[in-house]
Amino acid sequence: MNTKAVALAAIFGIGLTGVTFHAEAAPNNVIAPSKTEVAGLRRLTESEYRNSIADIFGSNIRVEGRFEPGRRVGGLLSASSAILSVTPAGFEAYSKMADSIAAQVVDEKNRAKLVPCKPKSASAPDDVCAIRFLTQYGFLLFRRPLTPEEISRRVALADDMTKSSGSFYTGLRYSLATLMSAPDFLFRTEIAVPGEGKNYTLEPYSRASRLSYLIWNSTPDSQLLQAAQTGELNTTAGVTKEVDRLMASPRLKVGMRAFFSDLFQLDNFSNTTKDGVIYPEWSDQVAASAQEETLRTAIDLTLTSNGDIRDLMTTRNTFMDRTLASIYDVQFNFKGDWEPYSFPESAGRSGLLTQVSLLGMFSHPGRSSPTERGVAILDILMCQPSPLPPPTVDLSAIDNNTDPNLKTVRQRLMAHATNPTCASCHRRTDPLGLSLEQFNSVGARRDRDNGELIDVSSAIGTEKFSGAVGLGKVLHNDPKFPACFARKLYSYGTGANTDDVKPAMFSAAFKTFTDDGYRLRTLLRAMATSPEFFSAPPPVDAAKPVTKAAN
Amino acid sequence: MVFDRRLLLRGLFQGAAVSMALPFLDCFLDESGQALAATGKRIPTRFGTYFWGCGLTKELYLPKSDSGPQGGAETRAQYLARLAKYEDTPQLASLKPLKSKFNLFSGMRAEVDNKGNFQHWTGVAAISTGIAPTQDQRFDAQTIDQTIADVIGHTTRFKSIEVSCSGNKNESYSSLGGANTNPPETSVLGLYTRLFGPGFQDPSKGDWKPDPHVMMQQSVLSVVAEDRKRFMQNLSANDRARMEQYFTSVREAEQQVAAELQRPEVVAQVTIPQSPEEMPVNKSVPALQKVVPVMSKLLAIGLATNQTNVFNMALAEPASTIFMPGDSKPFHQATHEEPVDPAVGYQPVTSKFSTYSMEMYAALLKELDAVQEGDGTLLDHSLVLAYTDTSYAKLHGLDGIPMLLAGNASGRVRTGMHIAGAGSPVSRVGLTIQQALGMSIDKWGAGSMETNKPVSEILV
Repeated sequence: MNTKAVALAAIFGIGLTGVTFHAEAAPNNVIAPSKTEVAGLRRLTESEYRNSIADIFGSNIRVEGRFEPGRRVGGLLSASSAILSVTPAGFEAYSKMADSIAAQVVDEKNRAKLVPCKPKSASAPDDVCAIRFLTQYGFLLFRRPLTPEEISRRVALADDMTKSSGSFYTGLRYSLATLMSAPDFLFRTEIAVPGEGKNYTLEPYSRASRLSYLIWNSTPDSQLLQAAQTGELNTTAGVTKEVDRLMASPRLKVGMRAFFSDLFQLDNFSNTTKDGVIYPEWSDQVAASAQEETLRTAIDLTLTSNGDIRDLMTTRNTFMDRTLASIYDVQFNFKGDWEPYSFPESAGRSGLLTQVSLLGMFSHPGRSSPTERGVAILDILMCQPSPLPPPTVDLSAIDNNTDPNLKTVRQRLMAHATNPTCASCHRRTDPLGLSLEQFNSVGARRDRDNGELIDVSSAIGTEKFSGAVGLGKVLHNDPKFPACFARKLYSYGTGANTDDVKPAMFSAAFKTFTDDGYRLRTLLRAMATSPEFFSAPPPVDAAKPVTKAAN
Repeated sequence: MVFDRRLLLRGLFQGAAVSMALPFLDCFLDESGQALAATGKRIPTRFGTYFWGCGLTKELYLPKSDSGPQGGAETRAQYLARLAKYEDTPQLASLKPLKSKFNLFSGMRAEVDNKGNFQHWTGVAAISTGIAPTQDQRFDAQTIDQTIADVIGHTTRFKSIEVSCSGNKNESYSSLGGANTNPPETSVLGLYTRLFGPGFQDPSKGDWKPDPHVMMQQSVLSVVAEDRKRFMQNLSANDRARMEQYFTSVREAEQQVAAELQRPEVVAQVTIPQSPEEMPVNKSVPALQKVVPVMSKLLAIGLATNQTNVFNMALAEPASTIFMPGDSKPFHQATHEEPVDPAVGYQPVTSKFSTYSMEMYAALLKELDAVQEGDGTLLDHSLVLAYTDTSYAKLHGLDGIPMLLAGNASGRVRTGMHIAGAGSPVSRVGLTIQQALGMSIDKWGAGSMETNKPVSEILV
C-alpha cells in the first residue's frame, strides 16, 4: 500500500476507507465485512450513465458511444439492469467512452474548472495533485470513498503515464479513465448489512444511490454522499430530510420522466417502423414528438398539477407540437414549439390510451392490432402480463377477408377467439383493444374499417363500456391500476422484478398513496422514506439474525 | 521477452518506430498449407453467421432428389456425388451462382427437452448453443460464434462484429450466455465507423505503426482487471456469473488491444472505402435490399483487412416483422394468418418473405466471394452459417429447420451438397463447424441434442 497516498489524503481531509465505511459512519455498530452482503448489482442504464456524467463533470462533456441494450423484465428495463452484465463489444464501447470523457475533462479548455489543483509542473508527476483529483472524482464516480489501495494504484498509473508522455494531464486522463471503466462505476453495487430481525438493510452509501437514481435518475450529489458519510442516512429522519431535498430539486422532473419512459415502454419507438405507403404522414419526428407528448402529459398531471395518477387514463389535456397536430388533425396556430391543448369531447380521446405513442407502438406497421394493444394495457397498467400463445395455433381465419361475413378486424378476431385455447387469453386482451379501434396504426381517428362502420362497444366480464372514453373510465376506476403503478415504482427503485414484488413490500406507502388521492409525490416520498425500501433478504447462507445495524 | 512499457511508450511518443516482440498470437488454425498465400503470408479462417426469422417454405426450397443415407452398394464417392446432384429450387434461386460453394441442411430437429417450445426462441438457442433454452430470450451457454471467436478472434482488433440489418439494437444472437447479447451495429455509418473510423490504421500503408494510445489503453485495462479479486467477494452465485462475464470482457479487451499493436498481415487486395452516406435502416424489404449489400461489403473489407475474424449478421428478429410497403401484413403475422393456398399448397405471401431472406443471404455471400485473397476468395477462407428459428413458422415447427453453410474453411469443408438430417439434432451442424475449424472437440450440445456425430459428409 502506498502510505504516502494515505498521508496525503489525510491532508485533504478526504475519507479513504473501504469496505468498513458504513461501520465508521455508525461507530456504535461495528460490523465485520464478512457480515455484509452484495444485495444488488445494477448496471447503469444509458440515461443513468449520461445523467451521472453530466452531473459530475458538467453537461458540456459529450458522451458519445453505443450502449448495450436493456431487456425488459417484469415490464421494466430498470429491472433488467439487475440481471445484465457487460459483453465484450459492450465493454469495448464503455472503455472508449471512458477514455473520451477523461480526455475532455483534462483538456485545456476544461481543466481550470474540472481539475481541482495545479501540478507543480505540467510535464512531471505530482502525486499531491493526482491524489486530490482521483479522490474527488473517485468518490463521485464510485458513489463511495475509494480505498487507499484503489487510489494508490491509480496514482502509480498516472505517474507512469506522465513520465511516458511528458504530460501530467495525460497521466490524469488515463487514471481517470480507469475509474469509468471499473465495475464500481458501471454497476451500482448495493451493499446490505444486518438490520432488524432476519432482514438485512442497505448501508448508507447504497441508500444514497438508490435514492438519487430513483428520484433524479442520476448519481448522488456531494451533499447526499455527505449524508451517507456522516451516517445520517441510517436514520429515518436523515433519509426524510434528504428525500425532501431531492424532491424539491428541478431534477425530480428528470427522474420522473425516466420512470414514465420506462413504465410506458417508450423505448419501443426506436424499433417502431410504419409502412410509408399506407401512412406517409409517419416519420421519425412523429415518433420523437409522440414520446415527448406522453412525458409532458404525465409530468404535467402528476408533478406540476399534483393530480390523481388515475386521471392519466381519462384526461383530455395534452401537449401538441406541429408534427403531432397533423396526425391528430388539429389546426396548429401556436407560437411555441409545444403548447398545451385540450381535445374536445367529440374527439373521443381519453388520456394516454389514445395518444399516438401507445396507439402507434402497439400496432403493426400497416394496421392496428387490438390484441397487441390489449396485451400492452394489461401488462403496463395492470401488471398482468399475457402468456405466449400456444405454439401450434392456426390463425388463418383472421386473414380470411374473402368471407363476406368477416369484413372487419373485430369480426375476424371474434371468429378465431371461439377456439377455446385461444379464447382464454383473447377474452382478456381483445375487448380492451377493440374499444380503441377508432384509432389507426399511427393513432389517427377513423370511423370505418374496410368500409364498415367500426363498432367500439365492449365488455370486460359483465361490465359493458364503449370506445376509448369508456375504457378510460373502466381503467380509472379499477383499483388494479394504482396498485400496479405503485408496484412498478417500487420495482423501478429497487431493481426487483415486478412479478416478484409482494404488496407487503410497500404496503405502508401504498396506504398513504391511496388515502391522499393517488398522487405521485405522495407515493414517491412515502416509499423512499420507508425502511422497506432499503431492506434486503438475508444472504442465503446467513443462518440466524445478527446484531442490528441501523434503524 | 519482458519489455518495458514505459520506455517503449516514450519511444513511441518521440516518433521512433519500435519493433516489438509481442507474443506470437496467430492461431493454429492457419497452419494448413492452403491457408498460406503464395506470398507466404497466413490467411486466417473466418466464421460468420447470418440469421433470418420465420424459416423457409418447404414446398419451395427442399430438393426432392434422393439425399438418403449411403446405400450398401454405393461407394463413398458415389454417395457424395449423389448428394451434390440436387435440383435447383425456387426459393434458393438467388444462391444458384454459388451453388458449389455452400451446403444445404434439411430435416434436422431442435429438441425442447421438456423445457417447452419458446416460440421463435427455442430454435435460435438450440442451433447457436446446442442446448434447449430453459427461459425465453436467454441463452443457456455462450453462442457458437463466441466459442469460435475464443480461438480465432483474438488476433484482430475486434473479437467479433455484430450487425442488425433492420437497425434494431436488440437484434443480436451472439452472447456469452444469459440475457446479454453483444450489441450490434445498427446503421451503415455505425458499421463503417466501428471498422474504419478512429483507431483504424490501413495495414497496407507503409507508415503503419503501433498507436501509443493503444499502449496506454493496455495499462488502463490492467488496472481495471486487477480489481477482479476484490470485486468478486461476497457475491451471490448469480451476480458472480455476471461479474465473471464482465471481467471476461475486460480480459478480452486486453487481448484485442495486444492484437492492435501488431500490424495485420493482409493478403487481399482491397481498398478502404470512403465513409458512406447514412441510409434509411428499417424493416421494409426495399430498405433491407439496399442496406444488406452495403453492410456486407463493409464486413467483407473488415474481414479482409483482419479487423475481425468473426461476424454475426441478423436480418431481423426471429418473429420477423419485415414487411412490403403497401401490404399491411408483416412476415411474422403473415405466417400465422395467411391461409395455405390449396392451389399451390403453401402460403404465397409468407413464402415471398422467405425468398427475400435467402436473397439477402446470397447478397452477403456475393460480397465475400468478390474479395480475392491468395489462391481463392474470402468466402473460400470462411464458414458462414445461415440459420433461422423455425421450420414451419405457422405452427412454430422445430423439426426440419433449414440451415445453410457457405465457404470451405480454406479447404477443410466439402461444399455443393444437400444433406438430409433425417430427424437428427441441429447441434450436429455446430459440432461440424467447430471440427472443420480445427477445434479439439468431440461432442457438442446438451440433453437430447448432445451429439458426437458431425456431418461427416462435408468434412474433408
